[in-house]
Amino acid sequence: MNPQDMKPQREAWYRSKTFKRFRRNPLAIVGSLLLLGFVLVAFFAPAITAPQLASIRTARPCLRDLGIKRDEVLAELRNPLKPTFWKATLAPPQTCYEIPRDGFSPLPKPPSKKHPLGVSGGSYDILYGLTWGTRTAFYVGFLVVGISLAIGIVVGGMSGFLGGTIDNMVMRVTDVMLSFPGLVFVMIVSVIFGSGLTTVMIALALIRWAGYARFFRGDILRTKAQEFVDAARAIGASPLRVFLKHVFPNAIGTLLILASMDVGSIVLTAAGFSFLGLGAPVGYADWGQMISFARGYILGTAQGTPFDFWYVWIYPSIMLVLFGLAWNLLGDAVRDALDPKS
Amino acid sequence: MTTFIVRRLLQLPIVLVAISLLIFGMMQFLSPEQRASTYAKTEQQAKNLDLIIRQYNLDQGFFVQYTTWLKAVMHGDLGYSKQSHEPVLDTIRKKLPVSAELAMYMFFPVLAFGIWMGTMAAIHRDGFIDQVVRVFAIIGWSLPTFVLGIWLLAVLYGHFKLFGIGRADDQYMVEFARGTLKAYTGMITIDGILNGRWDVTLSALKRLVMPVLTYTVVASAQIMRVLRSSMLDVLNSDYVRTARAKGLPERVVNLKHARRNAIIPVVTIAGLMFAFMLEGVFFIEIIFNIPGLGQWAVPSAVQLDFPAVIGIALLTGLVVSVANLAVDILYGIIDPRISFQ
Repeated sequence: MNPQDMKPQREAWYRSKTFKRFRRNPLAIVGSLLLLGFVLVAFFAPAITAPQLASIRTARPCLRDLGIKRDEVLAELRNPLKPTFWKATLAPPQTCYEIPRDGFSPLPKPPSKKHPLGVSGGSYDILYGLTWGTRTAFYVGFLVVGISLAIGIVVGGMSGFLGGTIDNMVMRVTDVMLSFPGLVFVMIVSVIFGSGLTTVMIALALIRWAGYARFFRGDILRTKAQEFVDAARAIGASPLRVFLKHVFPNAIGTLLILASMDVGSIVLTAAGFSFLGLGAPVGYADWGQMISFARGYILGTAQGTPFDFWYVWIYPSIMLVLFGLAWNLLGDAVRDALDPKS
Repeated sequence: MTTFIVRRLLQLPIVLVAISLLIFGMMQFLSPEQRASTYAKTEQQAKNLDLIIRQYNLDQGFFVQYTTWLKAVMHGDLGYSKQSHEPVLDTIRKKLPVSAELAMYMFFPVLAFGIWMGTMAAIHRDGFIDQVVRVFAIIGWSLPTFVLGIWLLAVLYGHFKLFGIGRADDQYMVEFARGTLKAYTGMITIDGILNGRWDVTLSALKRLVMPVLTYTVVASAQIMRVLRSSMLDVLNSDYVRTARAKGLPERVVNLKHARRNAIIPVVTIAGLMFAFMLEGVFFIEIIFNIPGLGQWAVPSAVQLDFPAVIGIALLTGLVVSVANLAVDILYGIIDPRISFQ
């Protein structure tokens, strides 16, 4: 008998009980809708901010790199039939992530027709920062999850496959990594390689892999104990073949799903580091950086009241919290669906 | 039990050596001059790095360097911080009580609130209370410390002029500086009592409200989640059914039979949380203007003050390993079966 036949029957994922449980959870629906909103904002960022790109002078490097003339911005960026629309949407140049500034006044200005959400101190356009910041958020989240997941799968897989001393050593290393506070780790890495968004991402990936490695190792050990693995071994499949063809594909599913839900918490953490000044530089379209930059205006000016400059810090912090909320609602629903007992 | 504790204590040096190797290994990415600054004790020395490079074998192989470095660290020689204009160890000594006091007041409310919420949610499973607690947990989960911190700062302090920021009223800080109030422990709430001045303690406690509130909302969700799920497991077990069948009151069954056994995973999380609180403390210090370790260390990382950051990393390693040790020992006390494995 072919060991594959002894595996539990595979069914279409959208008909599975797990997915049904997920779909019936109202919180999951709210989370999905929120997330869809963020995806749309990120995708249409160039089209949404076309008026800012057209009217603010410091947006010129971005327009230059996109190859558009100033009076054609609206027509080019809001028309999906133009190639420039797709270039700006799918592969915008780095210069477009610099928030354009309308002057150099240190005082924020409230929302107006030209700046729908106002400008922060230094005259950075807030709407621009928020929409392009959504792209930064997705970029940071997916990249960190991707890198740490890759490391975690390799290390955890090896640990579970080889067992013995290597397994033991790897687990001790993950123990240390898991109990060491991320902030201190990021501080060390920043001091050595200089601070910046890339440093934060590398440091986060170097912390996060340990959790995935442990989780994956556990799932591998559980899968290894199942009958179809014994069957494969009994008909004489080599250990490597058993591992790659039978254990690995059956163990990895849960990890991939759960890890993808970590995007939100990674973005929140990265924003925290930006808030402390260890992440993105001032003027970069990143929510954490915008909140950090707004710190000086939270309590207002000496004469004014604290809510004089509310728009400077409320908008980016709400974006950040909603982004985290969307992922956490999804993640919670997914965990419930996978394990109805908890 | 004693052998278990002794064995666990003997492991501590090994963990510490591993952590120090990790930190020292990362330091190897720095140039010898940059590393030399972590050995300097005074401003004078910080300017004469060549001497230090020779004295501490910084141009030699890895293990020669490592042992020389470890010896220096053991003597409390952590280098000179440009940020605070004094040796790193002196700064840590001054700032540690500030951060420790904050951490102390932050830790217990989180634990108590998390345990209370988790118990309520598990007892009223799928009921209204459970739903409320779970929504609260997801919101707390999605609110980073710094975001909730600045919101509370703007609304409570900025708008309603409540609580205040910093450590205590300026007049008390001046008294501490002048010496009319003695700083026995460096923790204002305790020093106030020791000086017989309740007004000082009260002023300090008032300023702890916002930090503690912020952190409780943000961090208790994790405790709640762990306790809820482990308590649900226990509530389904046979001996709980037996206890109910004997006619014991629901309250006794829930708290004495169920929760006491469900609390073990919470100990693990609480231990981890204690180490991670360092992170929370750093954020809180920066938002609420409390002059502790974070207010010195984080700018140090931005300003590339290597000795300060390495010093903080070593301190973190020590705190983390001692916290882990405490958790293991606590484990053995709560659940005697563990120490015999």
